[in-house]
Amino acid sequence: MQPPPAADDDEPHVFWSQVARFQASLDAGRIERGGTLDPALLGQAADLGLFAVSLPAQYGGLDLGLWGACRLVSKLAEADRAVATSVGLHAGLGSRAITRFGSEALKARYLPAMAEGRIVGSFAATEPGAGSDLMAARTTGVLQDGKIRIDGEKCYVTNGGFAKVFTVLVKTPGIGGRRSHCLVCVPRDAPGVHVGPEEHKMGIRASSTVTVRFDAVMLPLDHVLKPEGEGMAQAHEVLQWGRTLMSAGCVGTARTALAMTLEHVQQRTQFGRTLSRFEAVQAQVAAMAAELAAMESLVEATARGADRGEPIARRSLESKVFCSEGAFSICDRALQLHGALGFIEDTGVARLLRDCRVTRIFEGANDVLLLHHGTALVSARGPDAPPAGERSPAIRGPALAGAEHDLAERVASLRSTFGVRVIHQQLRLQAVARADIALRAVGCLLQAVTEQGAASRDVASLAAQLLARRAQDALAQGEHDAQLQPSAAAVFDALTDEGDAVRGSALRSADGRNPPLASDSGVAS
Amino acid sequence: MSNDEARNQRILELVREILEMDDDDVIELTHRMREDLGMDSLGSLELLSRLSEELRIDMEMEDAMAISTVADACAFVNRNYQEQHSAAATSS
Repeated sequence: MQPPPAADDDEPHVFWSQVARFQASLDAGRIERGGTLDPALLGQAADLGLFAVSLPAQYGGLDLGLWGACRLVSKLAEADRAVATSVGLHAGLGSRAITRFGSEALKARYLPAMAEGRIVGSFAATEPGAGSDLMAARTTGVLQDGKIRIDGEKCYVTNGGFAKVFTVLVKTPGIGGRRSHCLVCVPRDAPGVHVGPEEHKMGIRASSTVTVRFDAVMLPLDHVLKPEGEGMAQAHEVLQWGRTLMSAGCVGTARTALAMTLEHVQQRTQFGRTLSRFEAVQAQVAAMAAELAAMESLVEATARGADRGEPIARRSLESKVFCSEGAFSICDRALQLHGALGFIEDTGVARLLRDCRVTRIFEGANDVLLLHHGTALVSARGPDAPPAGERSPAIRGPALAGAEHDLAERVASLRSTFGVRVIHQQLRLQAVARADIALRAVGCLLQAVTEQGAASRDVASLAAQLLARRAQDALAQGEHDAQLQPSAAAVFDALTDEGDAVRGSALRSADGRNPPLASDSGVAS
Repeated sequence: MSNDEARNQRILELVREILEMDDDDVIELTHRMREDLGMDSLGSLELLSRLSEELRIDMEMEDAMAISTVADACAFVNRNYQEQHSAAATSS
């Protein structure tokens, strides 16, 4: 496994040593059992400057950029995912829009307190009737009496239980066109803001997730982020930070899963040998390490790219999908290798798995992001940029070149075969997206190895082989599934058209008996 | 109403349907698909794909990606329709 990234020389070492102490003090089991984040714990994090990590220095922030924030979130996630989620949400979605698009007055009003952690930020975009489709948002902001009036409801609002400011995506037909949207900075104490009870979740149970309702909330127009009417584009931009930070959390969780697994397989004996002596165990642990190394490289490339001012729309999507699926896979392997112990909550392995499950869903469900990515690949003009890692031919091996060739051929084939109708080839689009993301991840890893030296060559070489195979498997699976789609559609139609029959069969299986026949219906009893 | 105008009308209906627009939302030919209407690449391809099936025409992906405004979409669809249906009429 690669060691955690070291702090850059020009960064505050005191801060990182405090982060390490804070991390060591976190007891994930106790935090989860508490059900919410203890205000004292949040206060401690604030005192250490954790809420300042990404904010500009002129407002009291540490100005460590997206990469600094990612390192912080991954370190916290190694110990507890709920704390990492709350700090990461504040560093990204909760404050980024204000930093990027707020007026000077608005920034001066909120950012210093946000850097001190006295004000925690939150982001409210999802609505009950609109999940991944942000355009379907119904919460409105209308001009009234020289102010903006907000009405509507947002759900799954992370940090909402204790946040003091919300960045809210609203439809604003009167500002910048009938279909326009704005991001609006809404203080919690504004009249008409109603925060609902905490949701009971499968994982990251101590993090706050609530519904927030806005009933005729009236705010000065300077709370609308600039330029007005560009809210959808602004939301997508800050989501790039959010997705990258979430990916960093996945890296932290996966590191812990791997570390726990390594410890377990070297202690646990079976048939007179430790688990670590078994070939099948070694292969699984090595695959976990290879996947984690690729995740780390992808997140680092994304975050450092953002800090250099490069566009990260595509790479943040790749990070989000790859890291959320990678972390879940690594945690699942960890649980399996722990055997029955992994199923026992006290070991903490089950919590890792539960905590990272939601990352495949929130901030853009992976299924939808894969469709977007696949569509972008097929509709791209001209040849795609070559993956990173071209300078590592010795590590790349022939498998990677073969997978890249197969992907390019499949994309060209989809483009020429279906034209614009490719949008209805969802299984094939998701397949090329999966393959591309796997190859991009290994490209970042090879690039990092080239830059860092030979220390990680073995893990990079293994990752290249495994991910090349995964890319080719994804292409084959996508084609196979697409060919089976007529049968799948027929089964689906039967299930939905013959609901009564299906429910009848479900009843049979539920109690292990057939439903009563007409002759049995109460007459004999 | 000319055939082109009828097709344009159908394009506007589909845009309205795909974007789930309210009845009083106005669509202008000059509106930009992404910036003014909020239609992303998936939405644009959904629009063109449905037109492709309804009108029985093929549309190249590369050309479709150059569409910016509603007027561009109308011109693109009408051009493809005329080219392909006149070619079909000639060959038959």
